Amino acid sequence: MSEETGLFDYLEKGGKLTSPGNAPPRYRAELMRIMASFVDSEMAGAAGFADCINDAPGIAERIAASRVVLEKFDHAERVLKIMADFGANAERYQSVHPWAARVDRDMDLGARRQPGDMRLNVFYYPLAGWTDAVVMNVLMGAATIVQLSELSRCSYQPLAEIFRDILPRETRHAELGREGLKKIAGMGDAAREKIRQSIDYWRPRVAATFGAADSPRFALLERFGLRHEANDALLKRWAGEAETILAAF
Amino acid sequence: MPQAHWIEQAGGKLLVMAQFYPLRVSDIRRETRDAVVVTLEPPADCAGDFKFIQGQYLTFRRRFDDQELRRSYSICAGRDEGVLRVGIKQVEGGWFSSWANEELNVGDTLEAMAPMGNFHIPLDPDKKRNYLAFAGGSGITPVISLIKTMLAEEPQSTFTLVYGNRSANAIMFREELEDVKNTHMGRFNIVHVLETETGEFDLFSGILDREKCDMLLERWVDAKNADFAFICGPEPMMLAVAESLKAHGLSESQIKFELFASAQPGKAKKRAPKPQSAGGSVCRTQVILDGVRQDFDMAKNGQSVLEAALAEDMDVPFACTAGVCSTCRAKIIEGEVEMQANFALEDYEVERGYVLTCQSRPLSDRLIVDYDQ
Repeated sequence: MSEETGLFDYLEKGGKLTSPGNAPPRYRAELMRIMASFVDSEMAGAAGFADCINDAPGIAERIAASRVVLEKFDHAERVLKIMADFGANAERYQSVHPWAARVDRDMDLGARRQPGDMRLNVFYYPLAGWTDAVVMNVLMGAATIVQLSELSRCSYQPLAEIFRDILPRETRHAELGREGLKKIAGMGDAAREKIRQSIDYWRPRVAATFGAADSPRFALLERFGLRHEANDALLKRWAGEAETILAAF
Repeated sequence: MPQAHWIEQAGGKLLVMAQFYPLRVSDIRRETRDAVVVTLEPPADCAGDFKFIQGQYLTFRRRFDDQELRRSYSICAGRDEGVLRVGIKQVEGGWFSSWANEELNVGDTLEAMAPMGNFHIPLDPDKKRNYLAFAGGSGITPVISLIKTMLAEEPQSTFTLVYGNRSANAIMFREELEDVKNTHMGRFNIVHVLETETGEFDLFSGILDREKCDMLLERWVDAKNADFAFICGPEPMMLAVAESLKAHGLSESQIKFELFASAQPGKAKKRAPKPQSAGGSVCRTQVILDGVRQDFDMAKNGQSVLEAALAEDMDVPFACTAGVCSTCRAKIIEGEVEMQANFALEDYEVERGYVLTCQSRPLSDRLIVDYDQ
């Protein structure tokens, strides 16, 4: 195993892997897990948001929502291509899970992994109308930016490059959300009350996407160069940004 | 016709897994004492599949002692040259590289997949950019493809190569690089750094470690005006170069790594031992993860190996649980399992004992499954 030990040393010092042939088995497995979680979250997120296009009040909002859906599917496809380089059956993968399936809105999944696909739990909860969808998009959009910035540094260079490409578009999705929210907030007290209710619903669920503060897996991922900053540090950064964004509402 | 691996889908539809094409060896040139450059011709009807991007590699397969080995080698030609060439340096104990260096002949056929890899950036003929590359030993193979293509396709750009080798007679493509210099007068610079030879300046002897890189970037190579840097070579060299480049102002997204074949195990590993006879309804199972061995009993006709390991609170990897993504792949060290579905592993992996644990149920009374291999 000395070849592998040397490679882990290289990774710990910031080295990059560049093809499936370079990846030792445990590294491969953890990388696949990260990719599956991203692909499934984009697939499930886009599938859920697609239903909300018809709830949008005007053409501009419908275009914005359609764009978010289109681009999230595109992001899923790009990462799935990398999974395919590692042997995943990309064609079959796309239809293996019911991406639009949701649980009851009142259910509390916590941070426990659900059976089935690897989407973040936040994408298991149903959206309740346009305002709710926009609030979710604003909060989760901010979380996605924090999480993608972290993964843009990951040691599998082809994946890091895709995340760096995707990041500006996900940033734009979050901006579109904030613009939409501003518009809704201008529609009176009742609309603002609805926003507040949705914030109360989504804030803890989005916070849970950052995972446990003491995740034992983090040490392994850090050793592989797949992660750099701990879950609680990322959560804190998101919480600060969410606070700033939401202060206006 | 290209050969392909096929697997049957539930509906009876067939699906292509990985496609290999027979390439004819049209030339073999001995480049150094322990490296050859092999020119290959794809079949006429598949020529389009072998249009490569600079810096890509080919993955070959060949059977040794009834086991399939796959090895990747970088293409070492420019895109404009109209030929497909790979450089193969002999690795001690490496089956494929030794065979290619010692036994391969003109007229033989090599099986290869279409070019892959993303050790490149998009080119733009209107751009005037300054590129840096650091190559160590046979790490030059993808880099020479970059140099030739980028100088040809971006007529205003410049390229500086820092090239480390053990000694002067170990330098691959020495003459070809001189030719490139003459063809693109004033746009291509080479800095040779030789380990065993002491030249006039200390700057150009020794190994490409952090100190050497810092010296080069401070005194000889202009990092300040570099748009992108490419690194291919042994791991310690790549780390040292990357650190030095970052210290001299380049960002992570301006640095492209290519980790070459030395990171791959040279020899094929032996297949798992033959299964034991099946008797009872319970299988004594051992699962190895991150070097830790855990033993438990599992029913033969109940849970999958993955489910059983999860029930034992082991943090084993998995994602789709449908036999599609291959995240839960592991190797059977002892015993036998039956896979209900397999939409991801290829024949050669199954032959070597790999299984999808989400789809595997034990047939034998004893089973050892290793996620670390």
